[in-house]
Amino acid sequence: MSALRRFLRTPEAVAGAILLAVLIAMALSASLLFPGDPQAIAGPALLPPFQDWSLPLGTDRLGRDVLAELFHGARTSLAVGLAAAAAALVVGAVVGTLAGFAGGLVDEVLMRITDAFQTVPSFLLALAFVSVVGPSLGVVAIALGTWTGPARVARAEVLSIRERDYVAGARVIGMHPLAIAFREVLPNALPPVLAMSSVIVAAAILTEAALSFLGLGDPNRVTWGGMISEGRAVLRTAPFLSIVPGIALVLTVLGVYLAGEGIVETTAVRRGLS
Amino acid sequence: MSLLAVSNLTKRYRRGGKTIAAVDDVSFHVDPGETLALAGPSGSGKSTIARLVLRLIEPDDGRIEFESDDFLALRRAALRARRARLQMVFQDPLAAFNPRATVARVLDDPLRIHGIASRAERPRRIAALLERVGLTADLAPRAIHEISGGQRQRVAIARAIATKPSLIVLDEAVSALDVSVRGEILELLLDLQRQEKIAYLFISHDLGVIRSIAHRVILLDAGRVAENGDARTVIDAPQSAIGKALVAAAPRLNRAGP
Repeated sequence: MSALRRFLRTPEAVAGAILLAVLIAMALSASLLFPGDPQAIAGPALLPPFQDWSLPLGTDRLGRDVLAELFHGARTSLAVGLAAAAAALVVGAVVGTLAGFAGGLVDEVLMRITDAFQTVPSFLLALAFVSVVGPSLGVVAIALGTWTGPARVARAEVLSIRERDYVAGARVIGMHPLAIAFREVLPNALPPVLAMSSVIVAAAILTEAALSFLGLGDPNRVTWGGMISEGRAVLRTAPFLSIVPGIALVLTVLGVYLAGEGIVETTAVRRGLS
Repeated sequence: MSLLAVSNLTKRYRRGGKTIAAVDDVSFHVDPGETLALAGPSGSGKSTIARLVLRLIEPDDGRIEFESDDFLALRRAALRARRARLQMVFQDPLAAFNPRATVARVLDDPLRIHGIASRAERPRRIAALLERVGLTADLAPRAIHEISGGQRQRVAIARAIATKPSLIVLDEAVSALDVSVRGEILELLLDLQRQEKIAYLFISHDLGVIRSIAHRVILLDAGRVAENGDARTVIDAPQSAIGKALVAAAPRLNRAGP
């Protein structure tokens, strides 16, 4: 049975994949369905949802189209979340591999740096970074707090792999230590690291939303966190302004997590069988 | 002039406050084109010696001279370049290869690293290597885990001879193979030695195999040399206590009748 068919047999995974597909479709179609600036005023302010069918989800305090903002916000959430998670995974895998493979002083130094980053709450780290450097490097800010997990997992895996015969074999044929680390060891240490990706992407999307909520996101881009923050001022009179992007956020994180777990599960089963 | 001269080699391990010598003042030499066997019970230090000779681990004391150079003095790039002359075949042919590798990649690596063949020429060289060890060239694109244990050990031997070494360390290289395959691999090793004048440092606990392939044998006990000499002489009439014990423990088909 192929991995895809096994994936399709898991209802949670399919639900996650559908949510993720809708999100990606929203992100991709945002500028087609809602061309122009989503932050431009489109109608009267604080129009409730399902009143005017040209503005199905209503308008916010300044009269901006909530649906257009939602679509464009999907783009930000997905781009920032995926980029930050990818950066965290790459940095973590490289640092963990170097530490585990080199051992000795290199290991000590790299792991103490990892400890230092891990002891500071990741959100606080992102907050501090953004308030110093500015919101343009939000991806780096989010990755800063999340690369330590992958680094630790990669190091633990590398420590066991580097004692295997094939690593000794690579040394015997005269391979350069860096080539051994990145060609022979790292690819075999990746599966448990990649298994963390669903949690990391979900966390990165949430962190991005939280930063935007605090007004530390990129002000030139629509973000769901920023929309919730905007809606907070009129929470009693127009709660839908916070609820709509809030639901989108919950569904996105849920979709990423379920689809990610589904992929991990199906690949784990395949490894177990072989 | 010997090819490999090991003198006073010592490797100690610290375990729970006590220092244990895994290899204790061991000296031996290997001549060009000859097979020296290292035999001994588990824990006698034979695999440690293999790893020391290949500089996979560093000795605490002693000298290793290889091709008339101080092998322990070589560093980094110089050591990696010299490794072309000194190769190894491992016991478990599955563990000895990257699980993601294909046969072609395994054989491509040494050719590329030591600049033996240009990129365009390598597929032809790989095919020639496969044929040299009794395999067919169409095995090249296969994944390592798809081929049989015997084929895998042949690929391991092909990798070892790719760089035209003068010495190959065989660490229990036939112990994990079943009996029929073992004979074929031993035959291949003898043939390679005749054709290419490669010397072997043959590590095994199987005295029967040693008697059939090795010229000389060294019996090890607890990290020290217990006995050494001509392989047949030593195995047929061991003088040391450990030699007698090993010979007595070896399974025999022709049980002594009344």
